[in-house]
Amino acid sequence: MRSPLSRARGLGSSRDGFQHWWMQRVTAVALIPLTLWFAASLIALTGSDYNTFIAWLKAPVVTVFMVLLLIALCHHMGLGLRVVVEDYAHSDWAKVPAVVAIRCACFALAVVGIFATLRIAFDR
Amino acid sequence: MAHDKRPLSPDLQIYKPQLTSVLSISHRVSGIALSVGTLLLVSWLLAAAAGPQAYSTVQGFMHSWLGLLLMLGWTFSFFFHLCNGIRHLVWDAGYGFELRTIYASGWTVVAASAALTVAAWFSSFVVMG
Amino acid sequence: MFIRSSDQLPSVTVLRRFPVPRNFNVSTESRIERGKTWHAPADATRVKSFEIYRYDPDSGQNPRIDTYEVDLNTCGPMVLDALIAIKNEIDPTLTFRRSCREGVCGSCSMNIDGTNWLACTRFISDTMEPATIYPLNHLRVIKDLVPDLTQLFAQYGLIEPWLQTTTPEPEKERLQSPEDRGKLDGFYECILCFCCTSGCPSHWWNGDRFLGPAVLLQSYRWLIDSRDEAAGDRLDDLEDPFRLYRCHTILNCTRTCPKQLNPGKAIAAIKKMIVQRRS
Repeated sequence: MRSPLSRARGLGSSRDGFQHWWMQRVTAVALIPLTLWFAASLIALTGSDYNTFIAWLKAPVVTVFMVLLLIALCHHMGLGLRVVVEDYAHSDWAKVPAVVAIRCACFALAVVGIFATLRIAFDR
Repeated sequence: MAHDKRPLSPDLQIYKPQLTSVLSISHRVSGIALSVGTLLLVSWLLAAAAGPQAYSTVQGFMHSWLGLLLMLGWTFSFFFHLCNGIRHLVWDAGYGFELRTIYASGWTVVAASAALTVAAWFSSFVVMG
Repeated sequence: MFIRSSDQLPSVTVLRRFPVPRNFNVSTESRIERGKTWHAPADATRVKSFEIYRYDPDSGQNPRIDTYEVDLNTCGPMVLDALIAIKNEIDPTLTFRRSCREGVCGSCSMNIDGTNWLACTRFISDTMEPATIYPLNHLRVIKDLVPDLTQLFAQYGLIEPWLQTTTPEPEKERLQSPEDRGKLDGFYECILCFCCTSGCPSHWWNGDRFLGPAVLLQSYRWLIDSRDEAAGDRLDDLEDPFRLYRCHTILNCTRTCPKQLNPGKAIAAIKKMIVQRRS
């Protein structure tokens, strides 16, 4: 028996939401050069063998760019997937665990990726 | 209560697909496809860290017909998401909202994504020899 | 292919609807069934078919699509004229909102051939054969083509669309320069027909919390009004992951506005204001 205005007002404005939107744009801008570099490198590495690939990844510039790419990519991906879940999932029991799982998965993915990159870079 | 039984008017079932909505949902779908691709990217790096055998298994899959198909889909998703993403960043800066610009930029994004995909695969074949 | 203005109809229609089943994800009471066909009299010369969504709340039945064959010699050139001719001569139970018949009141907004527009400014000659007429999207239907707009107007009231000041009232009028008045052009003309809001997929999925393009356009109109002194409070109320940030710049709103307004641009400007007040 709520009035339409009360239903529209809901729990009020959270006065938040800018940070998420802003970081999505910042990571997007960072990803433009990083992903273009990565795509160009992949094309240049087509058909190369294992040792060539490892030697390429051991170069300091490549290692740093790879780490930056993984950080920006996993963050951008996490924010984007969170928006998708919030759009389509409406009940709390579906939405909250999914958002938490995505956050954790993206963090874990970044850590695993960075670990693998650094392992290759510092392996003698 | 009578209000609960009021039907909901159709939306997705009857609304006309237009460049605006089609490119927007494609941006989302390509983003999800790229997320899956990131998973594969990290597993590829892990395989490289694990040693030459693991790496060659992953490489073998990538060169199978299924792997190549996925790579083609992934490259097109990547270039489309990149070009449409730049279009989104231009909108966030406040430019390009006139309808003629929306449509012109939209078709440019589609053409550029296709062209970049073709160029990338062509260069890849050239590098391979 | 290259649309320059929202009143421009595309020369080619590749897809009339998304490739989903007709009753995709639809609750049992909303499933649309086949209805009856009302044929034109035998001596009619210029016959046009209209497939119209019908729902009778008193019958307890599901909504249906009725097909009406109209003799175009008996009615005016607009879709609204055809609806009135059907109501006068064929089926008096057909129910729809209408008032000014000239595109300024916003009453007759409905989904015609898949896109939202005012029935009184859509030429019959610009519709398909048969023309399909549905109520505005994703809204509870009261009867036939009349949707329940209560929630949309409640969201409009939420943004407090009136002048808010703390300085005492001047003796005469509040002054505004022509340049400042010019900033309202393109925003004050909104007739609240809600074509944009009911065409926004984000509002379909989150309409209870996302304000929608029409309401956000009006909140921008008050944000940039030089006489208003509550911009900070207005932005505080808007800055919410659902109220404002469910807008993903899909831009169906700008594409469909029957008054050629640009809600997408207004929403982007609101987001820019939020950036500006933090930097």
